[in-house]
Amino acid sequence: MTSYVSIPQYSNTIDQRYRLIAKKCKSCEIINFPPRQTCLECGSADFQNVKLSGRGRIYTFTIIGRGGAPTEFDDLQNMTGEYAVAIIELEEGPKVVAQLTDCHSNPNEIKIGMEVKAVIRRLYEQERIIRYGYKFKPIADG
Amino acid sequence: MFYEAFQSAINDVDGSIDPKEIKEAWIGSLKTGGAQLGNLAPLLIEQVGLAGMPACSIENACSSSAYAFRYAYMAIKSGICDITLAGGVEKMNDLPRERNRYWLGVSGDVEWERLAGTNFPGVYAMMALRYMHEHGMKRERLAEVAVKNHKNGARNPDAQFRSEISLERALRAPMLAYPLTVFDSCPITDGAAVAILCRGDLASKYTDTPIRVIGSGAASDYLAIHDRKDLTTVAAAQKAADEAYKQAGVKPKEVDLAEVHDCFTIAEIMAYENCGFAGKGKGGELIKNGETEIGGKIPVNAGGGLKSKGHPIGATGVSQIYEVVKQLKGEAREKTRQVKGAEIGLTHSVGGSGGSACVHIFRR
Ligand SMILES: [Zn+2]
Repeated sequence: MTSYVSIPQYSNTIDQRYRLIAKKCKSCEIINFPPRQTCLECGSADFQNVKLSGRGRIYTFTIIGRGGAPTEFDDLQNMTGEYAVAIIELEEGPKVVAQLTDCHSNPNEIKIGMEVKAVIRRLYEQERIIRYGYKFKPIADG
Repeated sequence: MFYEAFQSAINDVDGSIDPKEIKEAWIGSLKTGGAQLGNLAPLLIEQVGLAGMPACSIENACSSSAYAFRYAYMAIKSGICDITLAGGVEKMNDLPRERNRYWLGVSGDVEWERLAGTNFPGVYAMMALRYMHEHGMKRERLAEVAVKNHKNGARNPDAQFRSEISLERALRAPMLAYPLTVFDSCPITDGAAVAILCRGDLASKYTDTPIRVIGSGAASDYLAIHDRKDLTTVAAAQKAADEAYKQAGVKPKEVDLAEVHDCFTIAEIMAYENCGFAGKGKGGELIKNGETEIGGKIPVNAGGGLKSKGHPIGATGVSQIYEVVKQLKGEAREKTRQVKGAEIGLTHSVGGSGGSACVHIFRR
């Protein structure tokens, strides 16, 4: 059983998920990502698109224990067991939730403040369509 | 289950009440079973023999029935009804594991949070880790919350888990979502709760010890945690508590006991701060010094909390109110749990990871 984001709904966010296109508020200039109807800071609905660098730092993280993932990620857990999820504070300001990849899911190896960058990876499969999107990997690892 | 809670509420009225005197009902549920998704409240009301009465389902995640209580209270305040019913119900145990995992994840942001692979424990775990990072709190403080709530729940006949746990055991338990272990988390629970509310000037007809609602505060926040500026607090709960205190005209230090939403141990620590029992970043000291134990300065979750009493999502808000009302009447089930001389009590309910919150203050 899965929570449902339809293929058209998913396609509508391809710019964000693959290319990290954010909404810069024309009135207070803060960057909103993922996109919102109204600005997080000032409530304005007037935006222009900007592309994010994909670089940021780990703000906080967790390791999702075996068998505990949302059902959409059962395949992933069957393959990798526990995995790390973090809130990344992007260098342009906004925060995003994403999985960490290309690193050990070990709380001693992941640190708050660690530099990471976005990469495109397989997230999950629904309606026989593989959903891709960003995950983050430590910059030190290359 | 709802029928049992309803009968027990009717029987609990000190005088006597004809169920037909109740004019309207609000019932909280996340409807996790998915068996009756629409029009649940009319079905439940019909099953307790009150078909025809206006009844409305309230869904605000884990704070559903706290909100049901708020609307039942507002209906009386507005002058439209003299007597109302607030309840909640959830049936979770007969679901397959994957269906529970599905339902438990739908109360946060789905599109960008859950579908990035995080679950509910994960969201609170990230809040806990950030809290520990910013305020230098040790994991022992979280485990101490679990130990205290199990100790209280062990003496509550209504609790799901009636056994104490040691600090050692809580700390060594398997990780659910680092840094939270299975003992930092509330369980999967079946449960129902019902409260009957009555206009203040009519209450003496039904009881000699009426408990008055003196404050009702509610607030919401950004659903997705990445949109929140500060992850070491629940801003909606802070606002709801501030509003409830303002209405009640009382200060946090005047509160004699509180039932707070400890879906995860870190949530109880943040609740101490949001309810004004501790300063920002100081919640850990309260548990360390035993001030929230029964007999301490401000007993919290004398009923065992969600942690030990259980967390039947839609029923939890009213079940907290039940515990506080019984305590204020001096009728805590099992006398060793009674907070002596309690006059003012508070309930604190949080929906999801803090997207909604509702706080009530009661006075004997
Ligand atoms: Zn703006």
